[in-house]
Amino acid sequence: MSEILKEIKAVFKWRQLLFQLVGREVKARYKQSILGYFWVILNPLAQMMVMSFAFSIILRIPTNATSNIPYSIFLFVALLPWNLFSSSLMSASNALVGSASLITKVYFPRTILVIATVIAKIVDFLFALIILVGYMVAFQIPINANILWVIPIFLIQQIFTLGLSFFFAASNLIYRDIQYLLSLILTLWMYLTPVIYPADLVPDRYKIIFQLNPLSVIINAYRQTVLGGGIPNYTSLYIALGVSLITLLLGLSYFKSREKIFADNI
Amino acid sequence: MTKPIIEFHSVTKNFTLTSQKTFKEFLPALFMGEKTHDAFTALSELTFSINPGETVGIIGPNGSGKSTILKLIAGVMSPTVGKVRVKGKVSPLIELGAGFHPELSGRENVYLNGAILGLSKKKIDGYFKQIVDFAELWEFIDQPIKHYSSGMYMRLAFAVAVHVDPEILIVDEILAVGDTAFQEKCFKRMDEFKKNGVTILFVSHSLDAIKAFCSRAIYIDHGRLVADSTPPTTACEHYLASQNPS
Repeated sequence: MSEILKEIKAVFKWRQLLFQLVGREVKARYKQSILGYFWVILNPLAQMMVMSFAFSIILRIPTNATSNIPYSIFLFVALLPWNLFSSSLMSASNALVGSASLITKVYFPRTILVIATVIAKIVDFLFALIILVGYMVAFQIPINANILWVIPIFLIQQIFTLGLSFFFAASNLIYRDIQYLLSLILTLWMYLTPVIYPADLVPDRYKIIFQLNPLSVIINAYRQTVLGGGIPNYTSLYIALGVSLITLLLGLSYFKSREKIFADNI
Repeated sequence: MTKPIIEFHSVTKNFTLTSQKTFKEFLPALFMGEKTHDAFTALSELTFSINPGETVGIIGPNGSGKSTILKLIAGVMSPTVGKVRVKGKVSPLIELGAGFHPELSGRENVYLNGAILGLSKKKIDGYFKQIVDFAELWEFIDQPIKHYSSGMYMRLAFAVAVHVDPEILIVDEILAVGDTAFQEKCFKRMDEFKKNGVTILFVSHSLDAIKAFCSRAIYIDHGRLVADSTPPTTACEHYLASQNPS
């Protein structure tokens, strides 16, 4: 725990660099493309339409929701946070390797590079969120005060994401294959997470896999609270928080243990 | 006797380079019992110290360990054995503009690079005019720097780096860029630093530049200290002698 506090202090001292790096990520990515920020919106929109067609119209996956919710919204509420998770990890795995010229030349807390990519992805996520909100207004999806739960749920998700990001950023620097392995893991992981299907479709004897998978708890909790369901399952949420904190602790200590040899290996 | 600003205490730096960068190479090597690591000694038992205000030229053939010394001082690498003590803010001029992003404008890059060197936004605001004046780039400051010529790029990078208010300035063979007028400007600026008591480490293959600019020279070969002299003449002669054995 003291390691985390020390790192927070160091990052705070260098916060100016963090802001600049986030700005660089966000600005540079869209400066040259004509559609600019529309890409962040267009991407998930296209994904949602095709997936809705495949899974709802062809495969007829039920939503199992209490009220009558179109599958596309049911999917989208889960797909956006999942995309945030997977794209954060993919770009974090390249955060150090892509900044080789900085790492070998200037000293600053290396964790900042990883944190900056994770934050930059949140900015994209917020833009994409606009369509979800618009869509929900258009379809008049009923919401209630439980929607405020998304804030703590989101925090748990980011703790978990950050922990894994530290791990993949550091290990990809030592073995460049890690990023390919990661994209395989993410593809499989999505099917083991209730993104395209409702969580209660999972048979009881496999439930344990889903309880230990923080993403599945998180995604399910988003769906429940946003789409007018009840409050999330506290026990599951506590387990997810615990797993996320441990992941962050392990990820950060792995990162710190490798930090000294980053410049040697890049 | 002033306290040294940089101290190397029998510093050894080994690189344990993994010889296999990918699993495809690593896994077979592991099973075949091949070596998965290559050890390479870049510096061995190096001891020296530098006092505040000294201008030290570091000379030696390629691969002798000069850059490793600079990286240890900049804090981007840690020694395998021994201790490196550095007191003060280091501003590295190693390969200028390392943090520049081609898609961003000159202005944005000044802020980005300033932050990388540890400046607060306020400080950069205060220096901004001076930086752009120094680089003589007012006309292009809002253009993406991918449209800059390499000379313009270097000018901007140098301008940012010398406005950091460093206590230790690391200059690694960079003054070969820019036109003569700009080079002169850079040397003038470094002279100012010298007068203000900034410690400067200067790596160059030009012994003339070292003799003219530095107060001391350290000659490194194969990671060992061969000669160390104030003024630099003796060390430079040693180096010359080893280069042209007669």
